[in-house]
Amino acid sequence: MPTSKTLYRWSGYLFMLPYLLAFAAFLVAPLLFGIGLSFYRWEMLSPVPPQWHGLGNYSEALTDTYFWKAVWATLRFVIMQVPLNIGLALLIALAVNEIPRGAQAFFRASFFFPTIVSISVAGILWRWFYSSEFGLFNAFLSPFGWKAPWITDPAWAMKSIVMMTLWWTVGGAFVILLAGLHQIPAHYYEAAAIDGANVFQRFINVTIPSLRPVLLFVVVMNIIGSFQVFGQTFMITRGGPEHSTRSLVQYIYDQAFGNYRMGYGAAMSWLLFVIIAVISFAQFRIMREER
Amino acid sequence: MAIATRTQTRLAVALSALGSFVILVPVALMFVTAFKPDAEIIRFESLLPRVWTLDNFRDIFGNSQEIPIFRWLANSLFISMSVTALVLAVDSLAAYALARLDLPYGRHVFLVIVATLMVPGQVFLVPVYLMLNALGWLDTPLALIVPPIAGVFGVFLLRQFFLTIPRELEEAAAIDGCSRLRVFWEIILPLARPALCTLGIFVFIGSWNDFLGPLVFLDSVDNYTLPVGIALFQTSYYAEYGITIAASVICTLPVLIVFLLFQKHIIKGVMLSGLKE
Repeated sequence: MPTSKTLYRWSGYLFMLPYLLAFAAFLVAPLLFGIGLSFYRWEMLSPVPPQWHGLGNYSEALTDTYFWKAVWATLRFVIMQVPLNIGLALLIALAVNEIPRGAQAFFRASFFFPTIVSISVAGILWRWFYSSEFGLFNAFLSPFGWKAPWITDPAWAMKSIVMMTLWWTVGGAFVILLAGLHQIPAHYYEAAAIDGANVFQRFINVTIPSLRPVLLFVVVMNIIGSFQVFGQTFMITRGGPEHSTRSLVQYIYDQAFGNYRMGYGAAMSWLLFVIIAVISFAQFRIMREER
Repeated sequence: MAIATRTQTRLAVALSALGSFVILVPVALMFVTAFKPDAEIIRFESLLPRVWTLDNFRDIFGNSQEIPIFRWLANSLFISMSVTALVLAVDSLAAYALARLDLPYGRHVFLVIVATLMVPGQVFLVPVYLMLNALGWLDTPLALIVPPIAGVFGVFLLRQFFLTIPRELEEAAAIDGCSRLRVFWEIILPLARPALCTLGIFVFIGSWNDFLGPLVFLDSVDNYTLPVGIALFQTSYYAEYGITIAASVICTLPVLIVFLLFQKHIIKGVMLSGLKE
């Protein structure tokens, strides 16, 4: 009977029921609620109940100096961090790829390990390294009469955050790129070598084109992740000095959970989503057209 | 590779060795510095402690009023293990249905689920906070255990894996009169053990290291997870590096053990995430 067959097919959703309940309650509902919230003046500490605010939160963000400072700080982080991270990861992957496969496991594990160290531990360590009086880096520099303002000078702080981030996350992109290199057939290189291509030419004409999809994936994921930078700056500089490292996510955190301005925080988180969406979309378009 | 000359290989080995040294030094320093007296940390003279001491650990364990580190450890273990168990159970059922059960509109449902991956986590933070507040779950483990069940990654990963299992196995079982639940339990799950293992490790480590969640959803010191606990007590023990570094060692050990045991699974999981499309 067709009806009992249809019923049987629908009954498969019973397997999905627990997940769908969670999905509806903690993904779909907050998504819709969050959009609504962003149009409300919703101050948890104020006695005034939440009220409709139209686009007020969005226009406030766009005219808020600190919002733009946070956007700029985040952009500086992304612009410095992403190329260095991917470049370094690729360099390490190329080097490790030349080593016999059996010995690669050790290097893979070493480079990957920091990525699973908790951000509070990583933050505590690097805060100590960077400390101007008791810090390890300045202890190494002091015999030469040097002392660097790693996290106390606004011109230095974000660079120090980037350096720490490279240590913490380079292993992720490296592992994926290495797997990508493994997939390039050896005879591509042999053919190029027979044609007289040198190391550099082989890299440009064989490695990069073959690695392209993996590279795109790694770059996009890294950009998306970098726009969401929070833990490092929260742990090491708390956004200082002079707001030079206060990222967008930290500003959202400060407004929503420091000042309990829920509507404003929600609106800014949607602006973050728009920035990320536009940039990742543009990237996919550019990479596709180049092909 | 066959084409690389011996000098190139030597250069590659040297570069890799140097790189992994630089990467591992901070972690190694953390472990040895935890055994240094405070005076030696503040006035740095040598990498290894001149005097090895357990004082830092004694200070932590002896001050359970201000630094209830065993509570934090217990909270973290309880939360991470609950999340892992729940996500594995819920996601494997859902992924099986999506991969195999010929659901009406199954493809559409799957696309909607995957589409939410594009939305960054911070977008959910404020509304989920208000929802947890309304439920009365703030400052309880429930705030960190229940919302992650909605995570999309596990459903996606397991569905992809289930699709690779040959259908013939299930068809034979169905002819023998097995129900779908029995097929799932007796045929699919045992075959999916490696995928479940990989997912379980990812979920565990992710939950253990989660920072923003506990920072926002928890309030009282006794309810903190280990990472947030040590991050926040660091602010009050600003210059006492000995204690904070020893606490960092305690926080890193569980993850280090999991990593050493399941290193292959973890790295294979990361590699697959980049290669499948």
